[in-house]
Amino acid sequence: MGFKKFFESVKETLGLDNSEKESKKKSIKNLLKKLNSKKNTVQKELKKKSSKKDKNELQEELKIIICHLKNGKKMLQKLESK
Amino acid sequence: MLRKILLPTILIILGYGFWVSPDFKVIAAGVSIFLFGMLSLEEGFKAFSGGTLENILRKSTDKLYKSISFGILATTVMQSSSLVSVLTISFLGAGLIGLAQGIGIVFGANIGTTTGAWLVAGFGLKVKISAYAMPMLVFGIILIFQKTKSLKGIGYILAGLGFLFLGIHFMKDGFEAFKNTLDLASFGGTGLKYLFIFTGIGVFATVVMQSSHATLVLIITALSVGQISYENALALAIGANVGTTITAIIGAMSSNIVGKRLAGAHLIFNVVTGLIAIIFMHQIMFSVEFVSGYVGIASDDYTLKLAVFHTIFNVIGVVVMVPFINKLVVFLESSLKDTVKKQGSKLDNYDGVKYLNDSVLELPSTAMAAIIRETKHLYENSFEIITHGLNLKKTNIVSSMPLDEVIRDHYSNKTVNIDELYNYKIKGIYGEIIDFSTKAQSIMSPEDIEVLYQLKLANRDIVQAVKDTKHLQKNLVKYAKNDNKHIKKEYDTIRKDLAELLRNINIIANTDEEDVIILLLSKARIHTKKYDIVANGTLDNLIRKSLITNEMATSLMNDSSYAHDISKNLIEMATVTFTDRNSNSSSINVDMKISEEDIDSILKSKDK
Repeated sequence: MGFKKFFESVKETLGLDNSEKESKKKSIKNLLKKLNSKKNTVQKELKKKSSKKDKNELQEELKIIICHLKNGKKMLQKLESK
Repeated sequence: MLRKILLPTILIILGYGFWVSPDFKVIAAGVSIFLFGMLSLEEGFKAFSGGTLENILRKSTDKLYKSISFGILATTVMQSSSLVSVLTISFLGAGLIGLAQGIGIVFGANIGTTTGAWLVAGFGLKVKISAYAMPMLVFGIILIFQKTKSLKGIGYILAGLGFLFLGIHFMKDGFEAFKNTLDLASFGGTGLKYLFIFTGIGVFATVVMQSSHATLVLIITALSVGQISYENALALAIGANVGTTITAIIGAMSSNIVGKRLAGAHLIFNVVTGLIAIIFMHQIMFSVEFVSGYVGIASDDYTLKLAVFHTIFNVIGVVVMVPFINKLVVFLESSLKDTVKKQGSKLDNYDGVKYLNDSVLELPSTAMAAIIRETKHLYENSFEIITHGLNLKKTNIVSSMPLDEVIRDHYSNKTVNIDELYNYKIKGIYGEIIDFSTKAQSIMSPEDIEVLYQLKLANRDIVQAVKDTKHLQKNLVKYAKNDNKHIKKEYDTIRKDLAELLRNINIIANTDEEDVIILLLSKARIHTKKYDIVANGTLDNLIRKSLITNEMATSLMNDSSYAHDISKNLIEMATVTFTDRNSNSSSINVDMKISEEDIDSILKSKDK
């Protein structure tokens, strides 16, 4: 474990991790990263699936992901502008 | 009975002692000030236990060596193995750590407590300790009057240390003066007889003072002025170690079964360690001489030698007991069995609370963790009732079986009595959660109280979902065997939708992936609206085409509303209960929740 990583881990353990805003921003960014990767996976799967039922389900999931990505980006902008 | 006699007896003995000897009065005052200092120190450390201590404990107890190290460090810093034991019991009670981890911490605390002897023998008796006490007391008291929680905590810690130092000073002075009137060492002696006598005195003194630390300081100060012999001091130290288990046992009385098991482990460890120390007394004394010589302790510095002895025999105890921790866990679990059933209840199927007990009220975070876990426990019970109420099998829901097959595989041919199950598995737990939340509120911050309020609503949602299932069940049974295939299909759709929701909540409950949780919750919200047969026009269609009777239509409309409410309540409950409260995911889930407009737009685009 590098010194920086160790320092971050100690800070996190002791609850000294920046401000609440910074830690929230970090969590949203992590979540957006995961949602983006999920979006790519769903898009790839959509191309593969042939049944209408499966396609409908994936399309619904894609719309939900897009909606959350939109909401998340808005939240991030709001936090950054504060 | 014994308790009633004990207190007046101690008071009479003390009163007589004060009358006979003013020096004894000084020693007793020293012990009292020392104990008061420990209370103040504990109060101070509790002020910092709102997050930091829990974070450290959570991350540093996943492996046995880490649990032991945590016990050593925490006790060294806080100078109170009792506080560490009480906190450990509190964490165990809330289900935050396992028994093996708890035992590791207690073992470590036993080593950590030996640092007290080192501090007193190496520092407390070598310098004029009262000179340090005065400024600490002044600064400490000023800080105690501050409003900020952390400053108050520092104030209590400083004042606590000040009182500890002052107590040691009085004990030392008292023993020095006492020596001129009475030589206590003349009552001592050598040999096995005195070894047992002084061990017994050590146990008794610690049971009375409820602090091995105080007993040990008393022993060291008496030893420093030659009021007791070195051999007798060693026996007293062994007794102090055994006697300290009484604090853990008293702490465990208000705890649940795991707390009692931990107290059992503490007792076994200290008794075994004490026996080892008595049996191998000469060998340990030899190693004390060896270590003392090696680290440069003077041959006549018996107080430091006592500290070495105390450390060696506790380390030996840990080394001997560590290989048996798992066996100890098995033994304690089999000998102290969990009696979850409520006391006095004659109902075999009655399910009581698992995590709510007075020990978790020691800290706001353990109280909150216990309420969250109990809410999850209540949900598990409701999951079973709702599943069986819908005539579905629990195992099928949590599997990956296609939902069409899940609804075809019926749980029973008989109707499940939801009222009875509600009384056995929901009502009591729900009542206790609400009652306990009210108690816990008094130790919580306004932010925590807000979270607690959300949890109370989540519990209410669970109860409401069970009650709605009862209403829904009536027609589900009635129309399941009906000849009209349209009504049968609609009721099967209701069952299928609820089965899908229960499956998704089960996934949410068992994952830490935030993206999975947020997506499944949104999906559930969309489906709740999508499958509302009044809103999506299905009911109108069935009536218009005369596919169902008016009576069926009324039933379907009401039951669709019940199903809608069950879904809504369970989704709200899952949002509050199954998101990690230690991270930001809980607030992010609320902030990123898709709006009604978003749901409508997704549903509209789907219809196109």
